[in-house]
Parts: sequence; structure tokens; C-alpha cells
Amino acid sequence: MEGKKADVKGKSADIIMQFNRPEGVHHMESLLPKSVKRRVHALKRLQLQCANIEAKFYEEVHELERKYAALYQPLYDKRRDVVSGAVEPTDEECEWHSDREEEDLAEELKKKAAVEEKKEDSATTEDPKGIPDFWLTTLRSVDMLSDMVQEHDEPILKHLRDIKVKFSEPGQPMSFTLEFHFETNSYFTNAVLTKVYKMKSEPDEVDPFSFEGPEIIDCEGCQIDWHKGKDVTVKTIKKKQKHKGRGTVRTVTKQIPNDSFFNFFNPVKVSPEDPMDEDTELTLAADFEIGHFFRERIVPRAVLYFTGEALEDDDSFDEEELDEGEEEDNDEEGDEDEEEEYDPQA
Amino acid sequence: MADIDNKDQAELDPADMEDVEEVEEEETGEDVNSKARQLTVQMMQNPQILAALQERLDGLVGSPSGYMESLPKIVKRRVNALKNLQVKCAHIEAKFYEEVHELERKYAALYQPLFDKRSDIVKAAYEPTDEECEWKADEEEELTEEMKEKAKVEDEKKDEEKEDPKGIPEFWLTVFKNVDLLSDMLQEHDEPILKHLQDIKVKFSDAGQPMSFTLEFHFEPNDYFTNQVLTKTYKMRSEPDESDPFSFDGPEIMSCTGCQIDWVKGKNVTLKTIKKKQKHKGRGTVRTVTKTVPNDSFFNFFSPPEVPENGELDEDSEAVLAADFEIGHFIRERIVPRAVLYFTGEAIEDDDDDYDEEGEEADDEEGEEEADEENDPDYDPKDANPPAECKQQ
Repeated sequence: MEGKKADVKGKSADIIMQFNRPEGVHHMESLLPKSVKRRVHALKRLQLQCANIEAKFYEEVHELERKYAALYQPLYDKRRDVVSGAVEPTDEECEWHSDREEEDLAEELKKKAAVEEKKEDSATTEDPKGIPDFWLTTLRSVDMLSDMVQEHDEPILKHLRDIKVKFSEPGQPMSFTLEFHFETNSYFTNAVLTKVYKMKSEPDEVDPFSFEGPEIIDCEGCQIDWHKGKDVTVKTIKKKQKHKGRGTVRTVTKQIPNDSFFNFFNPVKVSPEDPMDEDTELTLAADFEIGHFFRERIVPRAVLYFTGEALEDDDSFDEEELDEGEEEDNDEEGDEDEEEEYDPQA
Repeated sequence: MADIDNKDQAELDPADMEDVEEVEEEETGEDVNSKARQLTVQMMQNPQILAALQERLDGLVGSPSGYMESLPKIVKRRVNALKNLQVKCAHIEAKFYEEVHELERKYAALYQPLFDKRSDIVKAAYEPTDEECEWKADEEEELTEEMKEKAKVEDEKKDEEKEDPKGIPEFWLTVFKNVDLLSDMLQEHDEPILKHLQDIKVKFSDAGQPMSFTLEFHFEPNDYFTNQVLTKTYKMRSEPDESDPFSFDGPEIMSCTGCQIDWVKGKNVTLKTIKKKQKHKGRGTVRTVTKTVPNDSFFNFFSPPEVPENGELDEDSEAVLAADFEIGHFIRERIVPRAVLYFTGEAIEDDDDDYDEEGEEADDEEGEEEADEENDPDYDPKDANPPAECKQQ
């Protein structure tokens, strides 16, 4: 039977910044008798106090997350070592009992695979080390992330050997950092690429009741020290230009941005002064969602994305903020979004 | 004339640029793929191709991707080692959630004085001071001068005509009526009873006990039942399921229990009496039989379906329970902590804002409460309901 998830994860997780909250109309209050309205205002003041206490609650949850990050870390380190082949797990550590049904189904496949493997083993001399392409495969198994990965990114991402989450220390403004650890490669010299997500963890003075816990409000990438000619975030194009007056044609080469996963480390900057245009807002919102997803799902559960198991579970991922109109089942509708142009009835 | 071919854009004289017309753009290197991409885009706009693709994809749903099977044995072995590590993570996560629950318990005690004050104001046990009532009016509330005058006159009339209302009358009933999830449960005959609802509290299980929370509905003395408090307890599973450890995503409500309501005679709104005419087949005589049958009522909330030993329920009861869990969760997480915002309606807009269809935030699909749209493959977000303003009489 389906149970109902408590909103605990919603409390401990940050959510995406909401831009441009449209103003609503509060008819209710103006119709109340004066003496009652007065008391309602008293309740609102109490509510404000609640919001401030709530902010402290979230700070403590953040500390709890920091504490537990340290408890998970040895397991993640072991994961990294197994993936890289630095450590070979023992037979005991590799024991895994799959579902009965799966086993029956897989029996045949296994037999078939066993025959093929024997062929393979004798054919190849190479013994794959660790789990090749672990993180690349993980990224590619998730729509939201695979959309970011271009063909030219893949050879680089094969060198990705770990992704870590680091939490801000107590007393610092609340934030988390994603660290992408790369083995030595021919594309760039950095050992680690970082993305920092800054959060607002207090009620907004102007709109205190919109506070729902920490929200990502800004992010910062890092500089990638590309080897010459290897920067996949730019491409060179040649343009032919015709001089209107003279009629001569010339060829001009330009460098323009190129789609790449590595643009992730060069996000649009949020400026408090300039209001953002819609596109930038959307791009940033998408970026925040991705950062959040890395932190909450990918890093903690990477193997389940590698195998594909987690993808069914992800329908429940977005049920974090379990509010009234609750069913925020974003992932299910992912497809509908892409099919916007397509009318099945046509 | 200098050879200006192949000059870098940056080096060119701006004056030159003005007279220039771009003829053709040629991409170097990588974008051999662009033509292929273009073709793909065209293909993907062809309904027949898409339909065929969709069929193939549908066939794949639920079947193992084959990726795992295709891995060499030694690699698969290491993946299994990672899975075992993942199980360990799930157990650590369970402890994390226990600690969060403790944190919630600790903070519940910090909120309680504020909630108690709320309760006192609502039921008129306490009159807040002027200072405690200071609140900047929202911009939205700005009425025109005319309206303000009118409202003032009406206020004065009201004040003369009837007694000054005590506290905030029908506070909780109004909260219920403003929230779809709850108003759906309300029947007309429930309303007079809910006028007597003075407070809703959330109590958390203590450390060491199985994780649960209880909703307490506090009523003032009334003609309907003698209980002062009606309770609903929700029990949670806070550990990974051994047979499916990876489905663990935090505490989940697994079951709930209500309480007995001691109804005053004749006042039980969860039952109704019906009269049935029955005709004796043999004799042909007709008789009238009265029967008591269940009646729709909010108060059925306190007698939820029981989960039998073998854990299996019929589909209807499962649906009822799922809805019940959602309501219990919602009351705990949103209603009790933020009641005044549901009373005024502010929180309902907040909830709606997240699911704003016409909003620029492009997530048309969010929050469509009609489940059909989610499951309907033909649903086209562009056909979604037009904004309310467009609705004609």
C-alpha cells in the first residue's frame, strides 16, 4: 500500500527560487468587522514570529545535514575507490540478492550472457578496471542531466571520477558546493571543478509568509583552465561578409559559445540591480534545479541512477514540497513538455 | 587593398562593419552534426514517426534496460558492491530522519506558545493589545476612498446592530472551507458542529517510540458529542523496507487510527436513516422498513478504514486511505502551522502561485489537480483552461 511521505525532506532541502510572485487579492480581510480584523492582524504578527522560528529550525536541519554528510562520506569514498579500481571489493561485499522474479527472468539471460562472456573473456585481454564511465553513464541516465551533455563532452566526462557535496560551516551564509573531481586529462588542468549554490534561509522582509525553507538564490561557477584548442564551450565559425558598398566579400572568423555541459561552470550572474529577463530567469531556475538534484539525488544515490533503478523512484522526488495542491509530479510530465509542438491528433 | 580575409572579428574596423552585409555563415569542425540534428528535428515533427517511436518506447517500459546485463561480470560485481554501500547509506538516512523528527519535536515546543496565543485570541479568551495588532495593510488591500468610506459606514452599522463578535468567529470552519482538500470533506450538516472547533494541535511521538504524530481537534462544549478532543493518529515507517531498501525516501505514513465519537442521541451525522418500501413477493403487501446507513461527513475522518492483518485492502479503501494520509499530512505541515494564512486566503494563493498555469515559469503541467490530465497522452498544455478573466457569462 502506498504510504504518504512526511514532508521531512522538504524541510531539509532547499527549493528553487520563485521569481515574480504575482500579487493576489485578499478579499477576505476587508469584509471582516473591525474588531475581528484587528485580532486577525494579531494572528499575523504571531505568524511572523513563527516564520522566524522556522528559519532557526532550518538552520539546525542544515547542521544536521552537515553532520550526516560526514557519516556518509566514508561510504562515498569507498564508492569512489571501487569505481576507480583503486580498491577491489571482496566477494562478501559484492553479494547481492535480486528479486525472485528478476532472478527467474534473468536466469535465461544469464545463461546466454555466460556463454557470451566466455567468448568475450577469451577474446579480450583487457580487464576493465573499476566501473568504467560510471559517472558519465549516471549523468546520461537522467533526462535533465543528459540534456546538458553534448557529444564532445563525453570523452571529457569519462575522466570524471567523483562528485562531492560540501556544506557551508555554521556561522557562514548557508550554501553548498558541488565538487567535480577529474583525473588527469588532456582537456584542462583543473583537478576539481566547483559550483557553489548560495541560499537564502530567512523570511523575506517584504513577504515573510512566502518562506518555505532555504531557497537557492544564486550560484557561482569556476574558471576552467582549458588546454589550447580543447575548450568545448566555444566554437569557431567563419562568416562571409559582403561589403555593401564595395561588393567585396571577406571571411571573418569568430568565436561563439558552444553548447556544452561545461557551461554549467559559467552560469549567468544574478545582479540585484538589473531585473532579469524571462529567459535568464528560466535558465537560472533550471540551473538551480539541477544543482539541487545533484545534491539531493545524484550524489547520495549514484549507483541507482547508474543501473536505472532510481529513475522510477524519481516520480516521487518532486513530492518534497507537499503542499495543498500537492501533486507536484514534475517528472511525469517531463514528456508532455517536450511534446508541446506535437499534436497527436494531426 | 589589405587582405581582410580571415581576420578575427575583433580586429576589424567598426567603420568597415557598418557597410557589411552578412552573406553566409559557415561553421567549422564540429558542426558536421548540425545537419544531422536538423534532420532529426524534422523527423521528430513528423507525427507518424513519433507515433511509431512512442509505440516502441511503450513496449520498453518496465522491461529491464539490458544495460546491467550487458556489463562484464567483474564490473557487475563491483556495481553490486556499490549497491551494498547504498543499503548502508539508506540506514544512515533513517537515523538522519529520526534526528529530524527530534528536531521537529523540539521546535514544536517552541511554536506551541504562539499557537496557544492564537487559540486564546480565536476563542476570545484573550484580547490582544493594540500593539499586538499592528499590521501594515497589504497593497492589495488598498481600497479606493469611496470604498473605504462605505466600509466604515457598514462597520459602524454592524457595530451598532449586533454584539461585538467575540474572538474570531468560525475561524477553523473558515479555514476548512477555504482549502479544497478539506472543504471536499465538509458536508452541510458538518458546519454547525465545526463552528465549535476551537483549535487543532499536532503532537509528536516521543523519542524511542515508533514514529507517529497525532492531530487533536479541540471542541468547545456542544450539543453534538461529549468529547472535548477528537484525535487522529498517523503512524509512520521510518526505516528502509528490507525487501526494497532503495524505495526509502524518508518517513512515510503507513496507517492511521481515529477515535470514538460519543454522539448525543440523534445527532450522529455520520449515519442517516432511510426508509425503504418493500413489497412482499408472495402476499403483495407493502411495508416500510427503516435502516441506518453511513452518511457522508467530515466526522468519518475519525473512523478511517482499517488495514487488515495481511495488509491488503480493496481498491476503494486504498484510495480513501491515500487521500486520508494526504489530508493528515497537510493538516500537520500546512494548516496547523499557518492557519491564519488559510483563514485570510493568502496561503492558498501561495500554493496556487507554485502552480500558476499562465505563469512565465513555463511549468504548465504542475499542479493540475485533475489527475486525468497527467495520464492523458493527448493532453496538450496549450489547451489548458484559459485564464479566469476570459471566462464569459
